[in-house]
Amino acid sequence: MKDKFGRVYFSLFGLFVLGFGIAELIIGIGSRSFAWGILEMSGEFLVWRGFILFFAGLFYLSSVKNLVEIHQLAKVVMASMMIWIIAGMQIFALITESIPGEEGAWLNNWRDFLSTYSPPYIPSLILLPFSLVTIYYIYKKRSA
Amino acid sequence: MLGVDERWDLIEKISKKAIKFGKYKHTLKDAIGELTVKPLTGIPVAIAVLYGFWAFFGAFAGFFTDGFLVKLFDAHWLPWLQKVFPAARDSWFYYIFVGDPLADNCFEAFGVLTSGLFVAIGVVLPAIVAFYLILTLLEDSGYLPRLAVLIDTILHKIGLHGYAIVPSILSLGCNVPACTACRILETKKQRFIMMTLLAIFIPCGAQLGIMLEVIPETVGWVILYLLIGYFILGFVLDKIVPGKSPELLLDIPPYQKPMLGNVRRKLWMRTSSFFTVAIPFVLLGVIIVNLLYLVGIIDWLARALSPLLMGWFGVPKETVGPLIAAFLRKDLAVAQLSAIEMTKYQMITSVVLVSIYFPCVATFVMLLKEGGGKGLLGSLAALVVTVFLYGGLLHLIWILLGVA
Repeated sequence: MKDKFGRVYFSLFGLFVLGFGIAELIIGIGSRSFAWGILEMSGEFLVWRGFILFFAGLFYLSSVKNLVEIHQLAKVVMASMMIWIIAGMQIFALITESIPGEEGAWLNNWRDFLSTYSPPYIPSLILLPFSLVTIYYIYKKRSA
Repeated sequence: MLGVDERWDLIEKISKKAIKFGKYKHTLKDAIGELTVKPLTGIPVAIAVLYGFWAFFGAFAGFFTDGFLVKLFDAHWLPWLQKVFPAARDSWFYYIFVGDPLADNCFEAFGVLTSGLFVAIGVVLPAIVAFYLILTLLEDSGYLPRLAVLIDTILHKIGLHGYAIVPSILSLGCNVPACTACRILETKKQRFIMMTLLAIFIPCGAQLGIMLEVIPETVGWVILYLLIGYFILGFVLDKIVPGKSPELLLDIPPYQKPMLGNVRRKLWMRTSSFFTVAIPFVLLGVIIVNLLYLVGIIDWLARALSPLLMGWFGVPKETVGPLIAAFLRKDLAVAQLSAIEMTKYQMITSVVLVSIYFPCVATFVMLLKEGGGKGLLGSLAALVVTVFLYGGLLHLIWILLGVA
């Protein structure tokens, strides 16, 4: 039953990841930016992020057939790790940006500190919580 | 005395008693390990890892440099030094150690205690720490050998094999240990190609850090040109240098969690060598360049070399100063370039020239030590030809694009 859930979940999630990857690639190659609600696609590494998400999406989609097989699950883990790398580095960049103060002040004030973490976010950050389902499958495999 | 068959029988008996055979279970780590060496799945992962590497490098170095050290040096250290330095503001002593008395930031002052210290401690040190931290994590997690296997086919095109990724990546930190790491390559030909390539086309961590600070918008282009040059020159050297390029036989360790103690020790060992090897050269570099400015040699060289610099390379004649400084420290040279007025395209050419024009003196010594006199002369010959052709080619590209 859970395997069926996994297949459906990672199929849908893979499609979203692939879609975001294609969107970032197109916007990045065209040297444009896009913002909608809490979502933002811009920045100097946009093409690279798009390329990584594109392949992460493909890995998810190619893994859904026989998900319990170890090599298929490894693809899911790798795809999730690719999202974790981008999202992790974005979170790290936000932290390093939020601490130092502007113009002469050593540390940021509370308002500016907190506003650094406010939306919009890049697609990988939005995808991050949904990719954490992978951890459940890793533990499930380990305990099997 | 036992015969061959009897010896094998004995071995079998001992092994049966000593070794316990169980059923091998393929783990998730094994499966991930296999996927990371296959090109179709491994290359996207490698790009993600390199993205993470670069993003961490920028964020970490930016946090310390822009967040705190620029403020410390510009708002506190420089004014204090300008106030208390025990020499007249128009004396040569002040010029060498503090630099321009009207400067309001350490980048533009160009004194030993201002620009020299700021470049070494304020800009380069955070970049070096970030680089070695990630390198150590990649090494200890077991990813680096997999990257070697993945890139093996590409590196064979330039006469090297996958293990050449180790000196190549090490060189992104510092060329000096990278020259020593060339020993892992089997033949003289491979070692020569690798040392020549890293001396010419791989910018060190110090240089990368300073590039990220002073020319953040063009650093991607500079690295792209250097990467293209790395493969072109490698391909040419593979064709003209006699010798063999054997296949790669590599034992790949399983993926594992890096141990904190090991990471700490490696990081300290590598970073501490920066204090002893690099910082004295940065300070010495500032002294020599300032002295050359004071006695008028830089101006004379700028006039003498202006037809070459302006005509062939298309860069301002003032770049002669940074080119001389580049022999001592390339990071210092890039910092000096940033103070010269020029277009974006001239800046790209200048930074590429500084990168490929000559190895810093520490690398120069290592090339001599590891490759011998003949190897050093060969590397220098390749370097001279590369600088003229590649520098001129860049200028030609700008002319054709109508931006020069």
